[in-house]
Amino acid sequence: MGKNKIKVKVMAAMSGGVDSSVAAYLLKKSGYEVTGVTMCLGISDNEKNLENPGQNIISKCCGMDSIKDAADVCSLLGINHYVYDFSVHMQEFIIKPFIESYLKGRTPNPCIECNRFLKFGILLEKAKVLGFDYIATGHYAGIVKVNGLPFLARALDRKKDQSYFLYSIMKKNLGNIIFPLHKLTKQEVRKIACDIGLKISDKKDSQEICFITNDNYRDFIKESKVKGKNITGKIIDTSGRILGEHHGVFNYTIGQRKGIGISASYPLYVQEINIAKNLVVVGSRSYLEKRRLIARDANLFVDKLPACAKAKIRYNHEEASCRIAVTDNDSLEVTFEQPQSAISPGQSIVFYKDDIVLGGAVISDCIH
Amino acid sequence: MKKIYLDNAATTRTDPEALKAMIQYFSGIYGNPSSIHSFGQEAKNAMEHSRFIAADFINASPEEIIFTGSGTESDNLAIKGVAYANGFRKTHIITSAIEHHAVLESCHNLEQSGFKISYIPVDSYGFVKLDDIKKAISKNTLLISIMHANNEIGTIQPVEEIGKIARENDIYYHMDAVQTFGHINIDVDKIGVDLLSASAHKLYGPKGVGLLYKRKGVKISPIITGGSQEYKLRASTENVPGIVGFGKAIELSKILIENEIAVQTRLRDKFIKGVNENIKNAFLNGHPARRLPNNINFSFDFIEGEGILMGLDMEGIAASTGSACSSGIMEPSYVIKAIGRNSVLARGSVRFSLGRFNTEDEIDFALKTLIKLVKRLRKISPLIK
Repeated sequence: MGKNKIKVKVMAAMSGGVDSSVAAYLLKKSGYEVTGVTMCLGISDNEKNLENPGQNIISKCCGMDSIKDAADVCSLLGINHYVYDFSVHMQEFIIKPFIESYLKGRTPNPCIECNRFLKFGILLEKAKVLGFDYIATGHYAGIVKVNGLPFLARALDRKKDQSYFLYSIMKKNLGNIIFPLHKLTKQEVRKIACDIGLKISDKKDSQEICFITNDNYRDFIKESKVKGKNITGKIIDTSGRILGEHHGVFNYTIGQRKGIGISASYPLYVQEINIAKNLVVVGSRSYLEKRRLIARDANLFVDKLPACAKAKIRYNHEEASCRIAVTDNDSLEVTFEQPQSAISPGQSIVFYKDDIVLGGAVISDCIH
Repeated sequence: MKKIYLDNAATTRTDPEALKAMIQYFSGIYGNPSSIHSFGQEAKNAMEHSRFIAADFINASPEEIIFTGSGTESDNLAIKGVAYANGFRKTHIITSAIEHHAVLESCHNLEQSGFKISYIPVDSYGFVKLDDIKKAISKNTLLISIMHANNEIGTIQPVEEIGKIARENDIYYHMDAVQTFGHINIDVDKIGVDLLSASAHKLYGPKGVGLLYKRKGVKISPIITGGSQEYKLRASTENVPGIVGFGKAIELSKILIENEIAVQTRLRDKFIKGVNENIKNAFLNGHPARRLPNNINFSFDFIEGEGILMGLDMEGIAASTGSACSSGIMEPSYVIKAIGRNSVLARGSVRFSLGRFNTEDEIDFALKTLIKLVKRLRKISPLIK
């Protein structure tokens, strides 16, 4: 004893996919003492297969097959692997609020909530309690030091950058996180996976929400919540004219064009969802463009947001310049220089300065 | 770091003496027991010696012992074997809700062939109710299969009463004794059992060997065919080294069993007392006294078993849990649920199973570590409202 240098302990959250597997490998290679952990979220692969007979099964994270994949990778890497049963937490903190949000006419982002409550919430706390120094994931993002303090940063590969989903991490936890894929491209990651002989190196990327079995969140909500209830309401245009009937507000998201079911001389887009009156408001594309929004539940990495910054209002949104004002009740009022299309309550706005994430908040309203 | 193995119900370390006995049967005495030359005869003698030891251990005759490949195989052979041999004249089986999967799935298989299965529920300690068994019996009942002691919660069933009921009604009684064989005394006549399954690796023997006791006169059909080994009931060249190791393990158990029961019962009760006194909302699963001497199983409210397991493992302590995600099963332990615990408690169940090689210091250290760990994990549990 005493001769061995005490290794830094890292808990690698592993979904069984390529990214987190390579992340774990890279950590091990760098000399960390790595332990793999997979969150069991109570998602059954078998049901998926039954629901989609004959269809291509997109490999999703955190099902039973993925747990086995993660275990196989750990065994290949020669590290311990554990599975945590998070199915109860998943229901309580992610799936229930997801459904509630849609029923309130919002467009939730469960991945952000999962990062907030599960991966960088309960799992990270657990890692600390169990004596780990760091938790690591396969996200494309980075932790960089600015004036000696850790900040969340964008991935070098802008196309894959997932920092948007990670703004909900608590500031105090940034110092306990490693993102080993910070400076790698997806191609490079796949190549590493292939070089070290990971079976899963050509596994497809997970795209959709992991707990939705057939990639249709509408069916999911219908099944879980509103079965048998009469939820139909009116579809109106921006001038208040009734155009038709809808089958539940949760079927619509702001900016949606397909599936409205009303023919008009110009393309119709969902403009607004009025939950109090059970109305869906539609109109032409130009109405979708708005400049101002209110956001709440801010999580910030800086003490004070600057008056001007760049912001993204959804993952695929091209960041835009905006002015930020903090209102009395701690919510943020954001005004974009240029109007932005389809600002959706329930989604998050994330603020950037260059490659650094300043923080973010959940959009609660948009204003003309 | 010192490693402490408290998962002896999953498997045990092969006793060095058993291993020593086995070694010479790989490259030294390697004949096939079915061969008539001296190589074969030597191997056969060794095997028959083990059969004699096994029979003697449970008050049976050697020709009532069939060596198999595992406890699971023995369960399959007993249940399916009896059903097939009976030619489906009687097609009803009574079992319990907390049997091992080897029994439950054998029953499910027969269900698909037209059998009716009665799954007797258990009370909050895990005991089957004798009245429920009696009520389930019909003229069509062929077999009662109820385990000696449960692998998860350690509850010891009233097997003598079950045996009596079976005899009175002219029904076969199969007892899965995988958890008890070598750990508590078994007398097949006293219990009145017709078929009994056991496995070597649960009593410090090697993996890959089991046995089925089959009372003289009980008819079963083989499920593995293709040779006349084991009274034509289990075709396969016998696993001679394994069977020798099994025999040696039984010999050792016979010598040590009384002492082990006394030592383990004391350590078990000390551990249970320690948990009860130091951890709030910890629920002992199974009966406090009528349980396996080496079994401790607690449900800890607000935290799931795998977190505890990992924390213990990091301190070098090996235990097991009723939360089964890592083994590819979604649902938490059906046994813990069958005794009336909710899903959260079933997921929060942890089993410590003591063994021959554990010391009191180890048990003390495990207890101390567990108390600290549960407190720390509870601090961060979002399930505490």
